[in-house]
Amino acid sequence: MTTRRTFLKVLGTGAAAAMVGLPPLRSIADIGQANDGEFFLFIHAAGGWDVTLWADPRNEARGILHPASTENTDPSQVRLWRDAPLEGGAKTFELIRPPGSSLVLGPGAGGLVDIVDRITIVNGLAMNTVAHPDGATFSATGRHLQGGRVASPSVDTMISNELGKEQLFPTVSVRFPSAYVGDNLDRRVVPLTIGDVGSISRTLSRTQLYDANPERDRVTALLSLEAEDLARRSTYHDVADGMRLQYASLQRMLASNLGDVFSAEGLKTAHPELTYKTRFLGAAALDAAFAIEAMKRNVVRCVSFAAGNFDTHAGNYKTHAHAQQELFDLVTATLRSLDAIPHPTKAGAKLSEHTHILVVSEFCRTPQINLGNGRDHYPNNSALVISPRFKPNFVFGATDADQLLPRPVKRFIDGERAIAPPDLLATFVSAFGIDPRKYMRDGEIVPELLRAAAAA
Amino acid sequence: MRPSRGFLVASLFAASLSAGCAARLPEHVQAVSLPSPEVLGVTAEDSAPKADLRMIPPEAYMRTYLQLFGGLAPLDAQKLARGKEGAQLFDNWDAYVSALGFADYRTDIPRLTQTNALMVATFERLGVALCDRAVEHDLRAKPPMRERAIFAFDVLPAPGVMDEGAFGARFDVLHRTFLGYPRRLAPAARTTRFFQLYRDIVGMHRTADPKSRFTPEEAGWAAVCYGLVRHPEFHLY
Amino acid sequence: MISRSRSPVVLFAAVALASLTGLRPAASAPAPAAAAGTRTLDDYRHFRIASIDLVGRIPTRDELAAFERPDFDWDRWVESHLEGSAYVERLTRIYMDALRLEPNLNFTAVPSQLYRQEITGPDGKPVHVLYRGGQRRLRESTDGDFCLTPDETGLVVRPMAAAVGTPKKTSKKALDTYTVEVKPWWLYRDYKAEHPTERYKQGWANPDPQFRPVDALLDEPNGKPTMEVRVCREEAHEAPEGHIYASGRAKPPPTSSPLPGGRAKAAPVDTAYAIKHKGEAIACDTREGLSMAVDCGCGRGLERCTPNSGTGDTPAFQYPNHMPLGPDLPLDSAGQSALRWYPYWWSREAVHFLGYLFAEDRDFREVLTGKETWVNGPLAQFYKTVQRGACCGPEANFGMHGETEPLFDPARVPTDLLPHDVDRWERVADRGAHAAGILTMPMYLEKYASARARAAAIYNDFLCKSFSAGQAELTPSEDPDLTRRPGCQTCHATLEPLAAYFARVEPASYVYLPESLFPQKAATCKKDKAGKMNGACNALYDVAFFDDKGPTLRSAHASPAHASAGPVGAAADLTRMPEFASCAVQRVTSSFLGRPTTADDARLLQSLTKDFVRSGFRMRSLVRGVVLSDEYRRANDDRVDAPPVGTEAR
Repeated sequence: MTTRRTFLKVLGTGAAAAMVGLPPLRSIADIGQANDGEFFLFIHAAGGWDVTLWADPRNEARGILHPASTENTDPSQVRLWRDAPLEGGAKTFELIRPPGSSLVLGPGAGGLVDIVDRITIVNGLAMNTVAHPDGATFSATGRHLQGGRVASPSVDTMISNELGKEQLFPTVSVRFPSAYVGDNLDRRVVPLTIGDVGSISRTLSRTQLYDANPERDRVTALLSLEAEDLARRSTYHDVADGMRLQYASLQRMLASNLGDVFSAEGLKTAHPELTYKTRFLGAAALDAAFAIEAMKRNVVRCVSFAAGNFDTHAGNYKTHAHAQQELFDLVTATLRSLDAIPHPTKAGAKLSEHTHILVVSEFCRTPQINLGNGRDHYPNNSALVISPRFKPNFVFGATDADQLLPRPVKRFIDGERAIAPPDLLATFVSAFGIDPRKYMRDGEIVPELLRAAAAA
Repeated sequence: MRPSRGFLVASLFAASLSAGCAARLPEHVQAVSLPSPEVLGVTAEDSAPKADLRMIPPEAYMRTYLQLFGGLAPLDAQKLARGKEGAQLFDNWDAYVSALGFADYRTDIPRLTQTNALMVATFERLGVALCDRAVEHDLRAKPPMRERAIFAFDVLPAPGVMDEGAFGARFDVLHRTFLGYPRRLAPAARTTRFFQLYRDIVGMHRTADPKSRFTPEEAGWAAVCYGLVRHPEFHLY
Repeated sequence: MISRSRSPVVLFAAVALASLTGLRPAASAPAPAAAAGTRTLDDYRHFRIASIDLVGRIPTRDELAAFERPDFDWDRWVESHLEGSAYVERLTRIYMDALRLEPNLNFTAVPSQLYRQEITGPDGKPVHVLYRGGQRRLRESTDGDFCLTPDETGLVVRPMAAAVGTPKKTSKKALDTYTVEVKPWWLYRDYKAEHPTERYKQGWANPDPQFRPVDALLDEPNGKPTMEVRVCREEAHEAPEGHIYASGRAKPPPTSSPLPGGRAKAAPVDTAYAIKHKGEAIACDTREGLSMAVDCGCGRGLERCTPNSGTGDTPAFQYPNHMPLGPDLPLDSAGQSALRWYPYWWSREAVHFLGYLFAEDRDFREVLTGKETWVNGPLAQFYKTVQRGACCGPEANFGMHGETEPLFDPARVPTDLLPHDVDRWERVADRGAHAAGILTMPMYLEKYASARARAAAIYNDFLCKSFSAGQAELTPSEDPDLTRRPGCQTCHATLEPLAAYFARVEPASYVYLPESLFPQKAATCKKDKAGKMNGACNALYDVAFFDDKGPTLRSAHASPAHASAGPVGAAADLTRMPEFASCAVQRVTSSFLGRPTTADDARLLQSLTKDFVRSGFRMRSLVRGVVLSDEYRRANDDRVDAPPVGTEAR
């Protein structure tokens, strides 16, 4: 007998598949199995980054473009900066063309030049916003703020809801614009929002001076029953049900004895390969160490954090390229670390083979240098994906030559247009067999971004 | 699950409509006035919008917590909670601020309005500190009742003779303290459940090794306190 | 009083709909009211919610006992809690959640910021010397720099960076000649006296507990208490006015010549203005006072300047990082950067202002239109002198050498507040002609640093609208006018005219550009052959909007009328819009109901809005209306056995 639920699913997936020419997405059980053991790292480059310094490099004064130069940038710490002539006596930078790659990068790209065979860059993302909260939300959820409120779950919530419910920490969010919004979400995947990773260990610490773990567990068990009763007595019971699930998660967390592992000192000791004493991104390095350790122990599904402060409107633009270099060096070092760690559940596999990284920002910066010698906000953007399911050594999307505005890149259902964040997020989640329409109102899957196997 | 009749009707209607539209040219429909439907009766409907329970704001949680700590300022409560044990029972407020869901206006991080597992863990950490210190202050030191923010009663003099009636009278004090209403209005199973918890904890403490700093009865009441300060009804409204 | 949410439904339609969709029919009639004196679970629940909202916490046992008494008067209880710190905090939180008026920025007004450099004294022991960056001095070897040369100290001293070089003993003669010891305001309560004696925590026995200089400011390197600070002699000048100085240096020395004293960069040369106006009086608390006078300093007890325990972003005072329950109940305390001292107090001013509006139940429109504010000691110090240091740079080219029409008139600052009176707040009834509620407070202007950001914040927070572009298509265009450019106009057609209200308040600053000196069109600003204007014109005027009258004042192009009206005009215009009242009502109602308002709340919101306006935009009336409504009582009560609306006894 066809139930309403399966009828809708068949109708939905069939229609979606028909529209984009893909075979229908698989059942929920298949999705879980196929993607068991995948991990996700989401990084938000806070403040809005200058894409002309890394992903969409520009070193010519053309149209309204003022390239970064020795007049507005301090290249002394930017190791990939090689002077190139610029009119007026200042120097701009040489474009970087890594050998064996068609990618062209800017000097802010840092360590990315060494891993071009593993990265996917998306340029010309149409943002239609230049406000920080709106841009951050749009990048993370695929929808703009509606009257100041978030209208859609963030990508880490979507992924955890599908693939992370059983993890001890489904999503850990350190200042990332994570959002838990929507009716079809499991309360276990409410992002665990913290200010710094060290607070996890402090929050999970328990003394044995007055009572012991079994006694506290006994209380937790009682509270689960109370929450169940409360849910039963309520017309809307999501919140009470959620607390019941969270009590269960808490018991698992405490039983895991991970408090010391996730202390700041413990993480630095476990991951000395990352650089913690940097000028801009020391805190982010600790977040990355947490991500690696948590994935290694198979206790998370998604780790999301914010990195840096790229909102350089004035003289602070001088160090923007340096800050970008630190960000991408950190991403590269994280990937290398994952390369060296065996997968916790897949014998013979490396963690990096099953970890998927997405780096976004709220928008990019103006192609013009402003009167303060910095750059303001601009409604264009780029993003970085490092995922075995995405086409590597590849760039998709483009901007125009004179104004750095997103260009139409393909025919979508709603016509020729530029790619936008909802398309990227829809493509990302679809790579794991998740129907984006379950969570997202907007966005189309862009199969050109995916490796053939993922697209199938 | 039985198919929803309404849904099937609607989808058949939609299917026939689209089929019909595809085949024929649009037609103009003349407006015709219809007679008013006959009113058979009137019934009231509660159209007030409903919503699920919400989390009490972190500010209200903290003020309540401090009130239960005897009306202390945060840094004084922190000092008292830490006592001589350093960070064993309580770290510092900075460690908990983010997990409790406070907004950070400096960095534009909005307040949390949903509980999550780490927040629930923080509630436990803070709740245990509060209850353990309250046992020491109220039950052990035995100040006058008006100075007891939580355990405004005396435990029975002889251990092991607590019956449900005696427990219930004391549980009512705690129920009012944390949940804001008398236990007589709570679901019937609650008092029994908590009494069982009390007895279980007392029993566990009698045989515990190493011994805790609490007597078994103190541990029992501490556990009842944990159960109420971490209760969904304490955190939601 | 709000009417109950109950509507009769035609049974015919209900039955028809039910049969079509399988829905259950509506609930039956409500049960009779409970007898007075016996509280139901719903009563307790309601009391708990109201306590959380109006008392700021759950009720105590004593409060519950009072509630249970038969003589408990609900209306009187609500009324008595529509005031007090918990009520004020509750409302302030609503607006702070929207406005987020806390700083994540450093601030330094160059003329007021001291830095501290450690040098080696004649006895080989460390000596701290305070100085200002860019201070003019008579000696060419130190003019614009630290008052002791690298030859004398072994160090090239730079503000906001570590000194370079190897320290060597500085002679006593140099120290005595070029520095002097002073008893500064942060150490002495009676710093204005001829011989101050009331030293912090010694003669000054009970300093305000919230005024806490860091230990590094209180103790010498050897650990002994600091009784006096050593400061460069120029910085110790006390007079409010100095004189324009011209050194006689018309041009920098050849790059091949060694610089005197071993200094790293050449001394400043005389500007044409300095040569022309040599010897004329100049106010010492302006930027020009620092850059143009050798006899301008920090005033008596260095009161025009802010201390620092190091060379840059180093601590000066202790105050909390986290204080969600207010500054009286901090969660921590830490030594904070000297560059964050005033931003911290700006934030407190904004919160104090909001608190005052709610505590005194003022007309809520004053949040934008109000002339008044509250200041304490640090804010008085800031508004009296420090704020003036933000001006003037390019403005001087238009004849403004010091702010002529500041947003906060320094003459209106209370004169009896000392910089360390942190917990003494005094009301300033009228900040000046250009004051407009929070719109002209430094915290708002720095948080929302551009004209557009300021406009977007008002649009969002006080009209409850947002600029959401949806799927606007952006195509390359040369049109500088975003109100016309395809794609951009979706938002900018509204945003630009709103931003124009702030055209006269400089971005990332609070400096006001009066129309008498900065007309909408600057006829004196010309384009060169390349089509560009000089730096000063370019800083304040926009060459993209250049016509036969000249360039347009930045941000003013979309509405010259709004630019003339300024923030005061914005406040007047916006508070006249019906959305102002409806937005306030919707925000407060949504917050108290604990959910976004929906179409189902239309009747409630309409009624509340009418009452709100009729009451003179008083929040107390609004909150009373919400808290006494059935919607509030029923909010979040989704128990399956909950009695229907309007049936419960109180």
